[in-house]
Amino acid sequence: MSRSATATELAASPSGTRLGILRDYGSLIGMGLVLIVFAIVKSEFMVFQNILGVLTQSTILIVLSLAMLMVMSVRAVDLSAAQVADAASIIAAASLIHDLPVWAAYLLPVAFGLIVGAVNGALMSYLGVPAIIGTLGMMFVIRSLELIYTNGGQPQILFTLPRGVTEPFLYLGQGNLAAKLPFLLVFAVIVSVAAFLLRERSVLGRRMDAINGNVRTSFLAGVQIKKVFASAFVISGVLAAIAGIVITSRTGIAVPRGSESYLLEGFVAIYLGTLASKTNRMNVVGTLIGALFVSFLNNWLTLMGIGAEYKNILSGCFILIAIAIGALRQPKS
Amino acid sequence: MKSAVGINESGVSAKERWGKVITKRGTLAGMILILLVLGILSPQFFAISNLLEILKQGSILTMVALSQTIVLVAGGFDLSAGAVVHFVSNLSAGMISGGQHVTVVLFMGILIGCVAGVLNAVLVNQFKIPPFVATLGVMFVLAGITLAYNQGKAIPLKGYPEFTYLGQGYVGPIPFIVIVVMAMMLAMHLHLKRTAAGLRMYAAGQNPQAARIRGISTSKSLFAAFVIGGLILGLTGVFHASYNYGSSAVASGLDFLISALAAAFLGSTFSKTGELSVIGTTCAGMFIAALSNGLIINGVSNTAMSGILGSILVISVILSVLHKREIGQVTIF
Repeated sequence: MSRSATATELAASPSGTRLGILRDYGSLIGMGLVLIVFAIVKSEFMVFQNILGVLTQSTILIVLSLAMLMVMSVRAVDLSAAQVADAASIIAAASLIHDLPVWAAYLLPVAFGLIVGAVNGALMSYLGVPAIIGTLGMMFVIRSLELIYTNGGQPQILFTLPRGVTEPFLYLGQGNLAAKLPFLLVFAVIVSVAAFLLRERSVLGRRMDAINGNVRTSFLAGVQIKKVFASAFVISGVLAAIAGIVITSRTGIAVPRGSESYLLEGFVAIYLGTLASKTNRMNVVGTLIGALFVSFLNNWLTLMGIGAEYKNILSGCFILIAIAIGALRQPKS
Repeated sequence: MKSAVGINESGVSAKERWGKVITKRGTLAGMILILLVLGILSPQFFAISNLLEILKQGSILTMVALSQTIVLVAGGFDLSAGAVVHFVSNLSAGMISGGQHVTVVLFMGILIGCVAGVLNAVLVNQFKIPPFVATLGVMFVLAGITLAYNQGKAIPLKGYPEFTYLGQGYVGPIPFIVIVVMAMMLAMHLHLKRTAAGLRMYAAGQNPQAARIRGISTSKSLFAAFVIGGLILGLTGVFHASYNYGSSAVASGLDFLISALAAAFLGSTFSKTGELSVIGTTCAGMFIAALSNGLIINGVSNTAMSGILGSILVISVILSVLHKREIGQVTIF
C-alpha cells in the first residue's frame, strides 16, 4: 500500500494466464476453502438458517468496516469509529427511554456521528494532528462521556418500554419483509451499494484515490486536499453512527463499551479485503468479503465452542498472512 | 479542548512573539500551572511522600512510553506494546506463584520482550508489512496467547516479598522502581544522543530517504529500535506484575498504549523542533501520573479520567504540529 493504486494500474496488471488468475484470486479461493473445511468439520455451519443469521448479524461489521475504509482510503485511520458506534447505540436507546419520537432515535445518533466526524476532520485536516493520535484521543473522550452518562457503564435497556414505542425502532434490526427476508439484510445491501458508489464511482472517491497516491501531486492538480481529507472523517462518523443504531435496534439493548471489539474486527476485514484487489488496494467489495469472512469465522468458532483466545490468535494470524501475501505478490516496479 | 482553541487564536493574532512563546514553551508552563492549581486545591498533593508516590505510580507508564519513544524515533510504531506488557505480566505472576526465582522471571521477561521485538522487526523489514498492521497482528496473537494462558482469571500474588520488592520496595526513601526508570532513561538518553547508532535512529526516522542516501541502513535502525523497545517492554511486564501484586485478567493493553503515546508526544513538545526525546517522555509520563493523582485527590471520578487524558493527548499534539500546516496522514501503514 505504499504506492498509488488507480484504475489504470488495475487494467495494466497481466492476469490472462492460469498462474496469473491463481496469483490474483488465490487468496479468495483460500478463504472459500477455509469456509468449506469449516462446514465439513461442523455440519450445522452450512444450514440455511445459520447462514441467514450470520449474514444478518454481519451488517454491523460491514457498515463499521466501510466507515473505517473511507478514512483508510486517504491514508488515515479512525480509531474512534467503534466508539462512535458504541455511543450512537446508547444515544438511540436513551432517546427512546426519554420518550422522544422514533425519528429522534434514528436522527440524533446520526447527528452525533456527524459532529464527531466534523471535529475529527477539523483536527486531522485543518490542524494537522496525526490521525492515529487524534482519533485515539477522541476515542477516549467519547468513552469517558459514555461512562459518565451511564453511571459507569449501566446498560440502556429497551425491553421494559411498551411494545408500541419500541416496535417501529426495532423493525430495522428485527423486522422481516415478505418471505421471511430480514429487513436488515436489505439495509446492508443499500448501505454497501451507496458506499460503493461514493468510494469507487464518484468524484469524491477519485479525489480520495489521488490523496492516497500522492498528497503533493493532488494538491498541484487542484484537489482541495484538506476538504477531501476532512470529508472522509465525516463520512466515517456518519456510517459508524448508523452501525450503532443497527446494534441497538438488533438487540434492544445498548451496552456501554459493548462494541469496542468491532474496531479490531474492522481492521481484519479491511486488510483481508485488500486481497480481493489485484494491486492490494483497500476497496469496498473486498471489505465486504472480509467482513463476511470474519463474521462466518466468529460464528464457526462459537458453534465449535472455541473461546476468545483462539479467535484472537486466528484473527492476528489472518491479518499477518493476508498482508504478507499481498506484499510478496507485489509486481516488480 | 478550550485551551487549545485559545492558544490557536492568540498564536494567530500576535504571531511574532506570543505565538512562538506559547507553542514552544506553552506545554511546560501549562503543566506547571495545572499542577500548581491541583496543589492549591488540596495541599497534601505537594507532600514529599505524595510526590514520591506519584513517581512510583508513573513508573510503569513511563517505561512503556520510553519503549514507544525509541520505536517512534526510528520511524516505527508499536501497537503491540500493551499486549507484550500484559502477556509478560501474566506469565511472571504465574511463574512466581509456581515457585520460580526472581532472576529467572526477569530473564524470561527480557527474552520474551526481545522475541516480540524481533518478530515485529522481521515482519516490518523482511515481509514489508507496514508497522501499524504488523504490530496490530502481533497484538492480536499475544492477546490470544495471554487469554489461553490465564484462562481469563487474574493471578494474585500474596507473600512473595522478594518479587514484590521490584515494584513496591524502597531504597531509603526512594522507590526502587523509580531508580530503575531513571537508569533506563539515562542509558537511553546516552544511546540516542551520544552514540552513532542512536543518531542514526533519529536520521532513519525523520527522513528515511535522506538517511538511505547517506548510507544509513534504515531497516537496521528500526530492527535495533524494535528489539530495545521490546526488551524494555519485557522488563516492564515483570515490574507490572510486581507492582500490582500479581496480574489482572482485564486486557488493559490499549489504555497503556494511549497513555504511552500521550507521554511521548507531550514530551516532544518540550523541544523547540518537536523532536522526540527520552527525557521529555519521562517528564511527560510523570506529569500524566501527577495529573491522575491530583485529579483523584480532588475527587474526580475514574470515568472522567480517560477522557481528560485523551484531551491532553490531542491538545499536546496540536501544540506541536500547529506550525507544520500539513494534513494528518499516517504514513506508517
